[in-house]
Amino acid sequence: MDRSTYSRSRRMAPFVAVAAAAALTLAGCSSSSGGKKSTEDSSGASAGKASTPRMTVALVTHQAPGDTFWDIVRKGAQAAADKDNIKLIYSADPNAGNQSNLVQNAIDQKVDGIAVTLAKPDALKDVIGKAKTANIPVVGLNSGLSDWKKLGLLEFFGQDETVAGQALGNKLNSIGAKKAVCVIQEQGNIGLTQRCDGVKKTFTGTVETLNVNGTDMPSVKSTITAKLTQDKAIDYVVTLGAPFALTAVQSVSDAGSKAKIATFDLNKDLTTAISKGTIQFAVDQQPYLQGYLAVDSLWLYKNNGNYSGGGEQPVLTGPAFVDKTNVAAVAKYAANGTR
Amino acid sequence: MSMTQHAEPAVTSPPAPGPKETDGRTSERPLALRLLARPEIGVFLGAAAVYVFFLIAAPPVRDGASMANILYSSSTIGIMALPVALLMIGGEFDLSAGVAVITSALTASMLSYQLTMNVWVGVIVALLVSLGIGFLNGWMVVKTGLPSFLVTLGSFLILQGVNLAVTKLVTGNVATDDISNMDGFDQAKKIFATSFDIGGVNVKITIFYWLVFAAIATWVLLRTKYGNWIFAVGGNKDSARAVGVPVAFTKISLFMLVGFGAWFVGMHQLFTFNTVQSGEGVGQELIYISAAVIGGCLLTGGAGSAIGPVFGAFMFGMVQQGIVYAGWNPDWFKAFLGVMLLGAVLINLWVQRTATRR
Amino acid sequence: MASNESGTHGAILEDSVPRDADAPIVQLRNAGKAYGNVRALHGVDLAVRPGQVTCVLGDNGAGKSTLIKIISGLHQHTEGEFLVDGGAVHLTTPRQALDRGIATVYQDLAVVPLMPVWRNFFLGSEMTKGPWPFRRLDIERMKKTADEELRNMGIVLDNLDQPIGTLSGGQRQCVAIARAVYFGARVLILDEPTAALGVKQSGVVLKYVAAARERGLGVIFITHNPHHAYMVGDHFSVLRLGTMELSAERSEITLEELTNHMAGGTELAALKHELSQVRGVDVDELPDEKALKAPVAASPEGTV
Repeated sequence: MDRSTYSRSRRMAPFVAVAAAAALTLAGCSSSSGGKKSTEDSSGASAGKASTPRMTVALVTHQAPGDTFWDIVRKGAQAAADKDNIKLIYSADPNAGNQSNLVQNAIDQKVDGIAVTLAKPDALKDVIGKAKTANIPVVGLNSGLSDWKKLGLLEFFGQDETVAGQALGNKLNSIGAKKAVCVIQEQGNIGLTQRCDGVKKTFTGTVETLNVNGTDMPSVKSTITAKLTQDKAIDYVVTLGAPFALTAVQSVSDAGSKAKIATFDLNKDLTTAISKGTIQFAVDQQPYLQGYLAVDSLWLYKNNGNYSGGGEQPVLTGPAFVDKTNVAAVAKYAANGTR
Repeated sequence: MSMTQHAEPAVTSPPAPGPKETDGRTSERPLALRLLARPEIGVFLGAAAVYVFFLIAAPPVRDGASMANILYSSSTIGIMALPVALLMIGGEFDLSAGVAVITSALTASMLSYQLTMNVWVGVIVALLVSLGIGFLNGWMVVKTGLPSFLVTLGSFLILQGVNLAVTKLVTGNVATDDISNMDGFDQAKKIFATSFDIGGVNVKITIFYWLVFAAIATWVLLRTKYGNWIFAVGGNKDSARAVGVPVAFTKISLFMLVGFGAWFVGMHQLFTFNTVQSGEGVGQELIYISAAVIGGCLLTGGAGSAIGPVFGAFMFGMVQQGIVYAGWNPDWFKAFLGVMLLGAVLINLWVQRTATRR
Repeated sequence: MASNESGTHGAILEDSVPRDADAPIVQLRNAGKAYGNVRALHGVDLAVRPGQVTCVLGDNGAGKSTLIKIISGLHQHTEGEFLVDGGAVHLTTPRQALDRGIATVYQDLAVVPLMPVWRNFFLGSEMTKGPWPFRRLDIERMKKTADEELRNMGIVLDNLDQPIGTLSGGQRQCVAIARAVYFGARVLILDEPTAALGVKQSGVVLKYVAAARERGLGVIFITHNPHHAYMVGDHFSVLRLGTMELSAERSEITLEELTNHMAGGTELAALKHELSQVRGVDVDELPDEKALKAPVAASPEGTV
């Protein structure tokens, strides 16, 4: 009816006016600095595509959701997959039992190759045996340096977190640190625990661990501040993830401490902090490389029967140290989210 | 049909009562015991006991800067514990409260960055999104009649997944980009994430917000019509509806208040740390609920206060940081946390029982 | 709010409502309610006049709950007419019923057990003072008023802050009735107020029903106890299987007839016949079929 549409449009008028005003305001509210417009296109490296037949590779890790390190592993794996005409199926679960189910899932999907991390080798032993029976080649990456051969994996890329930790411990020795605190953001996470254990093995000074609630950043900040206040002898804060290092910078300032900060893993903001000197150095295990090599190796094996290390030796991807002297070279790639 | 023809009914109205008589069976308990029986006092004493314990066991706690740190740690829990407590008094749970904080921060950050907007635009859109999520939660609970535990469990999982997936989709990473050099950032930081120097101690602004919000929440709960509705809707929803209390409005608005809290804490987090990790927030909802329950809010609804959760949140922050200040073995951290909280709650219970028995 | 009765028994009492205002405040004409394919109520005629107590009796499952829910605004009728002050209405919320002066005291009392007495008294109609946005509860006035109103009804409480759940069942009922009367109810619906009470407490509640009547309210008194009903009722309606089986003024029916009707007269007669076959059971005292007659409503019983 005419009258109802007329009255309806009159009722809609104020809403339309508000929406229009909001749109205009939004259009005028752009930022004059920062933001996406000011950053270059950061799509990462890309190359052509192989003409070999399409294959499927499953990458099964023990990543906890939202973890930065594994995100980079995945990016490296995807880059290799894109180049080699591979369909990459990524799945992860920090619980070892669930991780082995995911591997079984891949076997059921009849993939052409499987790449796994051996955080808990015993839990994956059976399912890897099943993969071999099904004639699916399995390679290892990141964790399992001392177990991959026993379990019958073809090759191994990367090094254990323990090795990375040991390297950091040695570096601390070389710069004369006396007391370090190792900040674990998820108590019970194997990779994180291995890193701190590695540091303890080689560091000649004292290392204390500090458990923080990684799902609540303000709480992380408060707890590190509390530790630095409680123990004034600490001269190095070692964090196990880039975001936590940046938070530690705030804690050090809050606590009025003179401690320096070192960390594992990189991210965009971390390289800036290293070049500014607020963070001393970072251990770069080159997760991108670990993921890339793991996937690419399966392509090589399928198409040419090659396997690195000849079944005897692992392929180490690091650890590399990034500090003020070489951060500039790495910064661009960290900005891409691939280092 | 008039009244005059029927047999006289056996019952007529009661006689008017005499001058101010009393029932006479209840004698006044002494003021001290009456105070002790209030749930807020019990949790206050529990919190005081915890504080005194750490004053003795952990020397660094005696320092003013340490107290500021503990209060800061309590305030980020406390600000969320307030609307969660009000919602619990109103008879519902919100399990998505933890990840909702991160959703809010992610929205503000990604919107501002991707569209290169003034950061305030992101802040306002994040507010609308958070209120919208609260509205959806409340509307679903009211419309379906399902337990809010179930409904918000669903929204918790959805938000957790969306946080991770959308961040990855939009930024290509698991964390957002740095927005600290964008327009409006410094202003917003002054409002949400700044700190003051008081007597040489650096005090974060969230502590003040926490206490102000607590005062407002207490006033609303005890001194307004809406507060009466909250108690009624949580105590007996059907009775409330029968006497004309707008049950749907009350419940939905309570969920939206939780959304507002999530926005506020999310903004604080964004402007303190610049970047937001998309996987955070999981597990925080249990801490908020614990602070509310320790503070005397009944799990079944209908009773509680806004002051109690203030002490509940303080207890949490005190224990969490106190363990570190005391230098105890960090492997036992979670176990210590649990033991201390249980201890505080038991003290609370004992005080209440003693006070009401005498 | 002071009552104007003289407190004497048997004398003609001055009503606050003029005698010729006999028009029913609430009226149901052939009303009914169906839930999907279930007809819970049908063909119900009811008139509630000021200063009269209309008793609605019936066993469990007869449809009494559905009937009150329609009048109190919790449900909507699907057949027939529902008239308030002569005009047809469709109430969608209890608030609408309350605004028209229809107050209900439910079996589960519509109180919130953990809340103090004074908060319960004013729930949904709280007194406030002060300008917006600082409008706050006028706690002083509410406590004073609640105390006064309760005393007017004869309830004396030491502490109005005590949770209403700590009061006895009878006291809670009386608080609920006092609340309804205070808030200007013109029609008071009492849903089985004496069902869970002992003899003495039931007596107290019945006294307040009479007090409400004397204040000029129209009272709908739902019960399955004919003795209680006969003590205060002016009009009796018996519901059975969703329809009205009996509708009579006080002058047309005796207590015995009412009781027998309610007790399911025909079934009892059949039972008596069977019992007489069993040795040792004295059936002489039980009523026989002739005694079980009573005026029946005009509309035939339908099937549910």
